[in-house]
Amino acid sequence: MRAEYFNPFISATVEVFRTMLGCELTRGQLGLKSDSSPAFEVSGMIGISGGMHGMVVVSLSRETAISATEKMLGERPDTLNGDVTDAVGEIANMIAGAAKTKFGSSALSIGLPTVVCGENHQVTFPSQSTPMTLPFDSDLGSISVEIGLAESAC
Amino acid sequence: MSDKVLVVDDSGVMRKIIIRSLSAVGFNDVVEAADGVEGLRAFQENEISLVLTDWNMPNRSGIELTRDIRATGSTVPIFMITTEGERSRVVEAIQAGVNDYLLKPFTPEQVREKLDKYCTPV
Repeated sequence: MRAEYFNPFISATVEVFRTMLGCELTRGQLGLKSDSSPAFEVSGMIGISGGMHGMVVVSLSRETAISATEKMLGERPDTLNGDVTDAVGEIANMIAGAAKTKFGSSALSIGLPTVVCGENHQVTFPSQSTPMTLPFDSDLGSISVEIGLAESAC
Repeated sequence: MSDKVLVVDDSGVMRKIIIRSLSAVGFNDVVEAADGVEGLRAFQENEISLVLTDWNMPNRSGIELTRDIRATGSTVPIFMITTEGERSRVVEAIQAGVNDYLLKPFTPEQVREKLDKYCTPV
């Protein structure tokens, strides 16, 4: 996966957290993803298809996911409930969608978000991809955006 | 004329955010739907004066909902609130009958500006 593919995801993530959650992110070091477990226990996942195919995963801790939901709704959920999974899915959707727009290609499509919760859950990226992880820090906690994309055959 | 607004999005959190923005400018009579199928049913069962819809939803999309509403002969203002920002998508939406377009992520102020442009609550 070429390095320039990550820039739209970096700026989209910063933009979504700033606009929808009023939260500034500090970017960490881009790294190779060495295993199939996302960094945290709540994952919002979006499939990408078209000129490239693969997946974007927005991974947050339970506490960060609840705090992010509180920022969006103005009220804090007591537990990791349907509002929290919905909010995480929508965050993933907006990041993938904004990144897709920044690519400037109508040849890409994004799917509907899926959210998985639980320790040590696993995500399988396309075998042709080299999954990378983009870590961010914020007042809400740490966030990891994990991306595995491969160019599609013509 | 009614000032009832139809908000269609498969995310309940996003519907709440949009409804909060509507309420801030005086639109308090809101009907919610989670996809284009529910949206069309709600449109037919209520006197709707404004539609705000997402694009990508299960069962029936916002673009299909727009075409369905226009097929009834309605000229109600329809706003698409979506992550689909490519020029070709915006053109497709306008050709389907969408009056205006707002990209996610958005601020409440951007929603208010769009609403001010088209309508004032009764």
